[in-house]
Amino acid sequence: KKMASKIRVVLRPVKSIVVRFCPFESNVESTRKFLGCINHKKIQATNRNCEVTADVRHDGSEPLVDVMFADGERLIMKGANLTTIEMLTALGSRCNAKELKEEQRSKKKSP
Amino acid sequence: SLCAKMAALSGGAPWRRGWLPALQLVRRGSKAVTRHWKAMHFQRQKLMAVTEYLAPRPAIPPRCLTPRKERVEEDSGYMRLLRQQVEEVFRDNRMIAICQYNSMPGEDLVLMRHYLRKYNIEVKFVLNEIVRPVLAQSKYKNLLPLFVARNILLVSPELKAKEMLRVLKGVPQVNLLGACIEDTILSRQGVENFAKLPPLEVSQGQTVGALSLLPSQTSSLLQRGPAHLTALLDEHIRRLQAGGTGTPPEPPPAQSSEGH
Repeated sequence: KKMASKIRVVLRPVKSIVVRFCPFESNVESTRKFLGCINHKKIQATNRNCEVTADVRHDGSEPLVDVMFADGERLIMKGANLTTIEMLTALGSRCNAKELKEEQRSKKKSP
Repeated sequence: SLCAKMAALSGGAPWRRGWLPALQLVRRGSKAVTRHWKAMHFQRQKLMAVTEYLAPRPAIPPRCLTPRKERVEEDSGYMRLLRQQVEEVFRDNRMIAICQYNSMPGEDLVLMRHYLRKYNIEVKFVLNEIVRPVLAQSKYKNLLPLFVARNILLVSPELKAKEMLRVLKGVPQVNLLGACIEDTILSRQGVENFAKLPPLEVSQGQTVGALSLLPSQTSSLLQRGPAHLTALLDEHIRRLQAGGTGTPPEPPPAQSSEGH
């Protein structure tokens, strides 16, 4: 059983993260915990340029996490039925995959 | 004794993670009490295995019995004190803002506290398990869904919403979720609208002016007839006095003279 705050995500390939939720709804707990976890100083330290914004609404919309990567790719996670750990691992796996691709590309460029 | 040692070594318990030399001469080797794990004599191993503790099985398996009521945890005095403090906070302050707290570096937190203190706004860290029962019993039931994940309360006896929003804009790690201002629950948009309102005296003056507009129009309308008559009579008297016994001039139309 993993604790959500122990998962380390490398945010280097991420350009911006927008977390949108409506705090008066009842399905926002995992999204809010996700926001709290990615604001941890160790994860923020991996990429100082990544802007994390919290968009607080009151229109009954469902909680949403919108991640914009540096190569233009976009990841949208609808947090209504996801747990914090699932969201963090999904983001973490995608970041790692992108990191690997970057390393391979840089290795190919400079052999 | 050599073969006994070899047998003991090979029959050693599988959980032992020590390093034992492959061959050992017992006579010149270790004593009974060693610093490393020493293999038990085989007979001793057998004795230990046979005499292991077996828990007695209950006569009725626990599945067949009704489950015991879980003991409700009594609140310690500390929790009661914290709850009293929360109740006090809700009673004494006119503006209570609830924000989500994502971890901030220490000096930023101190700076934010300092700026908010200037406007008489206090920062209080709250625990959800304390606040939730307090809110459930008070009239603030609709604030309950806000209290998940880490929260802080910004409380103030005054209503300086604009300044509070300005300070919070400079702190990205604290997100305003909602507020309870003068016993009215507002969302974030509501707080922003509230901050844009003009101050109380100005809005009071505006209300008074708007309300008194119609009555003042009515009174001037009502006074127009008698005022017109008075003006005409005055003019007539003046002309009579000035012109002596001349023909009484026609009363000048007051309306058109006003228009010129």
